[in-house]
Amino acid sequence: MTAAVPYPLVQVLQVLTVAAGSPLVSGVIARAEARLQGRTGPRVLQPYYDIAKLFRKEALAPEDASWVFLAAPLVAMACYLTVPLLIPVLTTFGLPLGYMGDILGGGFILSLASFAVTVAALETGDPYAQLGASRAKTFAAITEPVVLFVVFVVALVTGTDLPYALAATVRASAGQIVRPAHLLAAAALFMVILYETGRIPVESHSGTSEFGMIEEARPFEHSGPYLALLRWGSAMKQLILYVILINVFVAPWGLAASASLGAVLLAIAALLAKAAGLGVIVAVIDNSFAKLRLFKITEFTAGAFLLAVLGVLTLYLGGG
Amino acid sequence: MAAVAPPSVFAGGANVIAVGVLLAEFGMLRQAVLRDQVRLYAAQSALISALAIVVAAARHVPELYLLAGLSASLKVVAVPLVLRRLLRGVGAERAGPGWTDIAGTGALSVASTVLLAIAVAAFGFFSVAALRIHSPVLPDTALAISVAVSLVALVLMIMRRDVVSQAIGFLSLENGISLSALVVAAGLPLILEVAFLFDLLVAAVVFGLLIRVHHGRAESVSTAELTRLRG
Repeated sequence: MTAAVPYPLVQVLQVLTVAAGSPLVSGVIARAEARLQGRTGPRVLQPYYDIAKLFRKEALAPEDASWVFLAAPLVAMACYLTVPLLIPVLTTFGLPLGYMGDILGGGFILSLASFAVTVAALETGDPYAQLGASRAKTFAAITEPVVLFVVFVVALVTGTDLPYALAATVRASAGQIVRPAHLLAAAALFMVILYETGRIPVESHSGTSEFGMIEEARPFEHSGPYLALLRWGSAMKQLILYVILINVFVAPWGLAASASLGAVLLAIAALLAKAAGLGVIVAVIDNSFAKLRLFKITEFTAGAFLLAVLGVLTLYLGGG
Repeated sequence: MAAVAPPSVFAGGANVIAVGVLLAEFGMLRQAVLRDQVRLYAAQSALISALAIVVAAARHVPELYLLAGLSASLKVVAVPLVLRRLLRGVGAERAGPGWTDIAGTGALSVASTVLLAIAVAAFGFFSVAALRIHSPVLPDTALAISVAVSLVALVLMIMRRDVVSQAIGFLSLENGISLSALVVAAGLPLILEVAFLFDLLVAAVVFGLLIRVHHGRAESVSTAELTRLRG
């Protein structure tokens, strides 16, 4: 197709794809999980209905909570809307704002969102929300070095730390895919994503078992549109992390090489299909493993750290 | 900063197998269930045999096929079989108090042990880089990984407090050494390699005997009993 989409519009489409597609991916995962357990499961579109329902509900806040409590969901949402500008969601080439920040920049913005939600949870005075906030930050202290080491691997492999550059490097040759540093970094990132999206073996995603809650416990006191924003935000965070894993590390194929209308539409469809595929893998993992005890989660994150450090070490002798 | 050039597909693939050997070693370090530790040892040995076959095919060293076959039959089949039989015998005949399939706890927590082992493995990598040994058949990274495997096996033997894990640490130490032999001396006379393999079988039998004697005396596989001297 010849009709070209202007670059700013493609940039907006990247954000819209993530914003509009993320509940769909969550729905596919929930559905796949239910089918694997022999249940019919909710509709694939159920997350949209949930979010729409919450937007119509009344919002309540604890008496002692300050403006921070109400601002946090908006800050988090703003962060999640910013990150898709920086990563290759639809195109192989960098869009005008794509070089605004590197992988670390994107990571900082994601942590800022998590920080805002944590502060709001601490504001509430609710023990469960505070428990979740404290746990989330305790384990994040171990997963963030993992992300740093993954970034080091990317920097050593490409000479830059731009996500577009790594995706281009991976597409360049088969030698780039079988190098152990790349495989180790991708595996470590996948483990971090399992942690960050609150999946088995770290946390059971559905249901509210207080003993094991980490991510799920933090928005306990939010309600109405604010809870809707937090739910939507966590779905977007999940899709953003999937996009980073898929389009930067594992399968950067099917992206639009030009800004023609057909290529961009195809890229949207390919992205959602790839994310749903990854979601099904996550659902299979969800059904194959037991949740780790809370004190064993450090063993899981230490495993991810091991993979990321080995990735850097293999590069050290030039052979990784 | 300059990008690190990608290795060839052969070097990359060989390095991935070598990294798999190292990850299996770390797996043994973390694994609490002795039966699964033996399984991991078998998987690690299988990976080394696979690497030998890859080298034989890509570098045209036909005697490595024979070596791979021999080492697979011994280390993937025979030694794990012996170990598993010993474990079963120890468990079934004398189900004393304190005997379970779960290994005794290590001296440190699992996460701390892994972090310590990462530091030790990093030391192995840096020391090999300082030695500047180059091999004609395999990339330098494989040699560094083999040294890291041996060092992590030492950590496993030091940190775990049960005889079975210590035996497995010793046997996987041999795996690390055969990996380095593959890198620096792929053309080693076959008779020497075979002699090493039979040494290993002797070691397995000796360790089996030690496990039995220790269990017979202490009613447990934990070496914590040995700290108290008795006249």
